[in-house]
Amino acid sequence: MRREASVAIAWAALLIVLAFAAPGFFSAGNLRDLLLANVSTLLAASGMTLVILAGEIDISIGSMFAVLAVIAGLIARAGAPMPLAALTAAGAGALLGAANGGLVAGMRMPSIVVTLATMILWRNALNWATGGAWIENLPSNFQWFGLGQTAGEVFILTVAAVLVVALGWVLKNIAAARAVYATGAGAESARLAGIPVRRVVFWVFVWMGAMTGLAAVLDAVRFREVQSNAGVGLELKAIAAVVVGGASITGGRGTLLGTGLGVGLLASIGPALTFLHISPSWEKAIQGAIILASVVIDFARGAEARKNG
Amino acid sequence: MADRNHNLALAGMLALEMAVFSFTGAQFLTVGNAFEIARLSVELGLLSLALTPVIVTGGIDLSVGSLLALVAVTFGKLWRDGGLPLGWAVVAALVVGLAGGGLNALLIARFELPPLIVTLGTYSMFRGIAEGLTGGADNFSNFPPRFLFLGQGSFLGFVPPQTLIFAAAAVGFAWLLHRTVIGRGWYAIGHAPAAARYGAVPVGRRLALAYLLSGAASAVAALIYVAHVGQAKSDAGTGYELLAITAVVLGGTSIFGGVGTIGGTLLGLFSIVVLEGGLRLSALPSELTGILTGVLLLAAIGASSLAGRIPARFPMRRVAIAGGVLAIAGGVWLFVAMRPRGGPGVRRLVIAVMPKAKGDPYFVSCRVGAEEAAAALHADLIWDGPTSMDPARQNEVIEGWITRRVDAIAVAVANDVAISTVLRKARANHIPVVTWDADAEPDARDYFVDQATAQGIGYALTDEAARLLGGHGSFAIITGALTAANQNEWIRFIRERIAAKYPGVTLTAVRPSDDDRDKAFAETQTLMKVYPDVKVILAISAPSVPGAAEAVKQSGRGDVKVTGLSLPNMCKPYVHAGIVGSVVLWNTRDLGYLAVYAADALARGTLKAGAARLHAGRLGVVQIQGTDIILGPPLVFTKANIDRYDF
Repeated sequence: MRREASVAIAWAALLIVLAFAAPGFFSAGNLRDLLLANVSTLLAASGMTLVILAGEIDISIGSMFAVLAVIAGLIARAGAPMPLAALTAAGAGALLGAANGGLVAGMRMPSIVVTLATMILWRNALNWATGGAWIENLPSNFQWFGLGQTAGEVFILTVAAVLVVALGWVLKNIAAARAVYATGAGAESARLAGIPVRRVVFWVFVWMGAMTGLAAVLDAVRFREVQSNAGVGLELKAIAAVVVGGASITGGRGTLLGTGLGVGLLASIGPALTFLHISPSWEKAIQGAIILASVVIDFARGAEARKNG
Repeated sequence: MADRNHNLALAGMLALEMAVFSFTGAQFLTVGNAFEIARLSVELGLLSLALTPVIVTGGIDLSVGSLLALVAVTFGKLWRDGGLPLGWAVVAALVVGLAGGGLNALLIARFELPPLIVTLGTYSMFRGIAEGLTGGADNFSNFPPRFLFLGQGSFLGFVPPQTLIFAAAAVGFAWLLHRTVIGRGWYAIGHAPAAARYGAVPVGRRLALAYLLSGAASAVAALIYVAHVGQAKSDAGTGYELLAITAVVLGGTSIFGGVGTIGGTLLGLFSIVVLEGGLRLSALPSELTGILTGVLLLAAIGASSLAGRIPARFPMRRVAIAGGVLAIAGGVWLFVAMRPRGGPGVRRLVIAVMPKAKGDPYFVSCRVGAEEAAAALHADLIWDGPTSMDPARQNEVIEGWITRRVDAIAVAVANDVAISTVLRKARANHIPVVTWDADAEPDARDYFVDQATAQGIGYALTDEAARLLGGHGSFAIITGALTAANQNEWIRFIRERIAAKYPGVTLTAVRPSDDDRDKAFAETQTLMKVYPDVKVILAISAPSVPGAAEAVKQSGRGDVKVTGLSLPNMCKPYVHAGIVGSVVLWNTRDLGYLAVYAADALARGTLKAGAARLHAGRLGVVQIQGTDIILGPPLVFTKANIDRYDF
């Protein structure tokens, strides 16, 4: 819990400043908009938590996100019902994830290299195929799944919440998910303990892809058209949230709660700066400083603990 | 031995690339082109060299591209605003680079924090400070010629000065990594840090040195970059970290540490750079570079990871041959794909047209007009340009076109200072140059296809915003990237117009969208809450108008209107719903069409200096004022007329 507490403290500090300086931040409307805007990051980051827990990394998700949103849009435009479009996007995501996973687990290639290659590949292939054009003239049942704005918003948030909570529970309580921790903590000892390490790694990437597909759909349906350059930098957002949330980048340690807190902290910074009337040109610098601060705080607390223990 | 096999396979691929391109790419196999390619690869090369020891220790440095930008702008600021002599500014730049590397070193070597997280943080922070210092918009140029010589000049007529620095750095890094105790320490750390410590390797100090050198290399690369491009701005070197890591890893350095050579890195670097340059000379789209780089990376790493697992007696050659066959197949396909399509004996003009950014819907729409004109004129159209925001990219593509000797060049200029040098070079090589959409320096081109001046656009946008406000109240701007030169120019004229003509109107805030519809949406949502008195959102990049309009629609705020600069097709639903009051734009198709007609007429010699009119196909006779070819005034799309346009 130590690590989660560090993020929680950093986030709480930011929120307290906001409570005094810009109480408008806490209006129901703003919180709803913030939640909706970060559903995709949250889903991507929870997929990424598993990948990082298993001791791997996936930097191709931003490119996958764009490809999958376009696929969902194309299918919807072809007249397929929305649930089918959503499932196809998730399925296609699982396939792209399986390509990563196959190369990593099957060929034993380093995941950062594999996903660096697929990141470049998917993004360029998409640019080539679409020429930058958006998917326009979507049927009216595309936006909000045809449910209307309010019901659509509730639906999106419910799906995301159920997925994340269920995943959190599974990670704590189901043996198959504990195998992910074991794999990341030490592949060799996990293997000796009878865990099919390579299969675990493969399925973790498949899961990551499927989550990216769902994230892409849940994000795309908030609009009337699908843009073809979405998701640039999503991988960095997700990785930052996971590591700020306390997961060890070498695997084996981390929780979904920490990731959730990490997403919350990083997602609050941008709007917070607008509320505090700080120039947007300093936003990246502050974001970077907060990432560094959160790891250094953790280091300092660790040093304290070592001294006292 | 896996090392040598890998390098051999890579050298084979490189040779193959060169063989294919010498057939497909005009002027590929010339001394001039070799040095041009070398010149373009120096900045990336320095970063790759410095990343090799870092990755050999099992670490990573994602901050090199951002540090390059930070060094570039501090250098520019100290020289221009701080009044420092150039020499001292160079020293200060190196100090900034070392300080940046030092911060990474402190956190990684002293605090033992994971390099990936630390440099992910500094990646964001360094570029953030560069943006903060300049507000994203400010840029530094007009450096003295003796400094620019470093990046643009040449010794003996063909040796670019920066390649000498690069060669020295390569020798230095090779010596350090392969011939010294320090280098052996790096390998030991990469294999097993704990064992290295027991083996009396001062792990902390060795690691610190690797990151310090990386900072220093970023600083040197920054200076060369500034001298090469002719300006320093906070978007310099965007994405270089991934390209450099790709080169290092492609060169056989293991991302887990302990394995890797400088020679391999050089091979990896040249494979990428030659691929990029060759595809450009073969007039193939730049996306193909990315696709093939990805495939190359997978093939190379796949082959060596197979080699590592397969018993030694398995002939490694087979893997290399398989790779070679794949590459040949790719090469042949390329060759076939890019054969000239014209009939035999007919010499078709090659007109090269460049947008500011390839994926931007605005330019996608200009392209339709450009293709229409090329078809009407029986000319071959090359449409290529940057797929990223990095300002050096446009220059690189044009360098390729000069080497390829296209018949005419038409450029939508992203950055006038940076691009003018290379355009002058094109003119010196008797290639006519037209600028369109945004102008370069007047002596760097023959004609400018003028759809509207920055002043005209800024004023028209302000007038629309003021009209929607009823002459009173406040509005906010959603711009593209904070560093976008065009938008910053418009904003300057918007402020000027308000000050001069609309005392009752205030500009409350300017927020970036990074040309991302979703970000424009989120920024608008926040804006409306923070500034409830803002009644008009002026969105000035094509994707941000629908983004802002959707945010207004979902908020139910009937009192807020959106206007701005965008494509009619994207905005139609919102215009009809009354959320977007109006959209300002010219006919983008006609713009692309006219640019190609002007370039074609120059290449054929039918358009000469001092002409007063131009016959431009379906556009009829177009007026020329001075060196400006006038497209006509901007259109204002409203509910009444928007359905008549389809682009």
